[in-house]
Amino acid sequence: MSSTVTSPELSLATADSIPAPRALPSAGQVFLSLFKADLTTQWRNRRASLMVVLLPVVIVMSWKALIARTGGAFVLANAATLGLNAIGLMGYPTTIAKDRDKDIFQRLRVAPAPGWTIMGSRLAVQLVMILFMIIVVFLVGYQYDNIVLPVTGYLAALLASIAGGAVYLGLGQAIVGRIRNAETVTSTCRLIYIAFIMVGMFGELHMLGKYIDDITPYTPYGTVKTIVSAAMTPAEWNSTSTLALFITLGYTAVFTYAGIRWFKWSTKS
Amino acid sequence: MNTSTSLPVLRVENLDIFYGKFQAVRNVSFEVRPGEIFGLLGPNGAGKTSTLSACEGLIKASSGTILVAGYDIRHQPIYARASMGVQLQSTSFQPELTVGEIITLYAGLYGVHLTQEGLMAILGDIKLADQVGKRFGQLSGGQQQRVSLVIATIHHPKLVLMDEPTTGLDPQSRRQLWERIEAMRDKGHGILLTTHSMEEAESVCDRIAIIDHGRIMTTDTPQAIIDDNRDNPDVIQASRKGKITLEDVFIGLTGTAIRS
Repeated sequence: MSSTVTSPELSLATADSIPAPRALPSAGQVFLSLFKADLTTQWRNRRASLMVVLLPVVIVMSWKALIARTGGAFVLANAATLGLNAIGLMGYPTTIAKDRDKDIFQRLRVAPAPGWTIMGSRLAVQLVMILFMIIVVFLVGYQYDNIVLPVTGYLAALLASIAGGAVYLGLGQAIVGRIRNAETVTSTCRLIYIAFIMVGMFGELHMLGKYIDDITPYTPYGTVKTIVSAAMTPAEWNSTSTLALFITLGYTAVFTYAGIRWFKWSTKS
Repeated sequence: MNTSTSLPVLRVENLDIFYGKFQAVRNVSFEVRPGEIFGLLGPNGAGKTSTLSACEGLIKASSGTILVAGYDIRHQPIYARASMGVQLQSTSFQPELTVGEIITLYAGLYGVHLTQEGLMAILGDIKLADQVGKRFGQLSGGQQQRVSLVIATIHHPKLVLMDEPTTGLDPQSRRQLWERIEAMRDKGHGILLTTHSMEEAESVCDRIAIIDHGRIMTTDTPQAIIDDNRDNPDVIQASRKGKITLEDVFIGLTGTAIRS
C-alpha cells in the first residue's frame, strides 16, 4: 500500500509541532529487502547448501539397482525425503540458532520490520532450497537412472515436497524454539536427522523388524515419503496417500505452533 | 495516537520492568529532547540496558509509558521503531554480507531509497568507501562502529539510542565517535546513550541520569550534578584528590561495592 519514500530532511521540533505521520515501507518491500539479503547469505554459504543436496543425489545414484524392483518413484521419493530432512533439520535451525546467538535478530527487530517478515524471509529462502534440491534430484534421476515421470507427477511432487519440507522446517523451528544454546541445537538436530535416516531408509528396506515396519509409515519420514512418492504417480494416489497427507499437515501444524510458541528472539531474554 | 504536545523525542514515564520476580527497573521517568545528548549512567546491573531495551521495544515493560516521537512503543511499535535509530551494544549483522549490502538492507527496512551513488556517498562520509565490498566481520572495531552508526541514522530518525557505544574502542576511535555523536546532536537528533564511563558522560552528554538498582538517583547536567552534591558526605568521602568529580558523585550515590 504505502510506497518506499526518500527519507525527509530532519527538522527540529518546536514546542507546538505535531510530528507528521511517517510513511513506512510496505511489508512487501521490507520482506523483499530481507529476502534478497537472506538469499545472498545462503548463496555465500553454498558449500553447506551443496552438502544438503549431495545426500539425495548419492541415494538416487546408488539405488539404481533397486529401480527394477521398487520403481523409480520409490527411489526419487526416498532421496527427496532425505533432502527435505537435511534442509529442515541440518541447515535451517543451526543457522537460526547461530544468528540468534549473535543478536542478529535483535538488530532486525529494532527496525520497523514486522516479525513475520524476518522469519518469513528465512523460510522463503528454505523454500528456494527445497525447490532447487528437488529439481536436482529429478534431473539426476532422469540423466543417471533414466527415471521419467509424467509432467503432472513432476508438478505434484514439487507441491508435495513443499508440504513435506514444511514438516521438517516446523520440526527444526520447534527445536530451535525450545533449545537456546546453539551447539545443543546443532547436536539435537543431528541426532534426530540420523534417527530419521536410519529408521526411514532401513525401515523402508524392511531391515529393522516388523515393529519399525508398522510405525514407519506414520512417522514424519514415512508420511512425507508417502505423499512425495504418490504425487510422482498421481494415477496411483489412494486413501493411504490422503491419510499420509493429513498426517503431514498435522505434523506441520503441531511443530510450527510449538516453534512459534517457544521461540525466543534472543538467548538473553 | 501521537499527541500534539510531544516536544521530547523520547518520553519515559513510570517505567517498571520485571524479570520474573526480580525488578530490574523501578518507576523510571525521563525525557530526551531534540538536539540533546542524554546519558544514562550507572554501574553494571543498574537497569540501563533494560531501560534501553524497553525503549527499543525488545522487552515489554510491566508498567509505564514509552513514547518515541509521540508514538507509543507498545501500541504503535512499527511507527515508533521507524522514528528511532538504534546502535546495540554488540554490533550484529549477518557476517556473510558486505558493508554495502548491509547498508542497502537496512535502508530498505527503513524505507530509504538508496542508489549506488548514495551508498558510496554515505561510505565516503565515514571514510569507508574502499571497504564497500568487504564483509562486516573483516572491519576493525572502530570501522564497525562507524558502519553501525550510519545504519542507525540512515533514515534521519528523531531519536537515536546507543548502548555503551564506545566499549572496546581505542582512544582515537572513541574521540571520533564522540565527534560524530555531537554532529548528530547538532543536526537536531535526540540521542540517548548508556554508559558507565564518567569521561564519556562528562565530555559528551548534555544531561545525564544516574541510575542504580533500577532507580534514577538524579537527573541534570553533569556540572549541575557535581555542584548539587559537593556537600554530600558520601561524595566527599569518595573524593580522592579533594576536587569533586562526577566519578566522586557517582561513587557517593551508588556506593563502592563491586557489581557483577
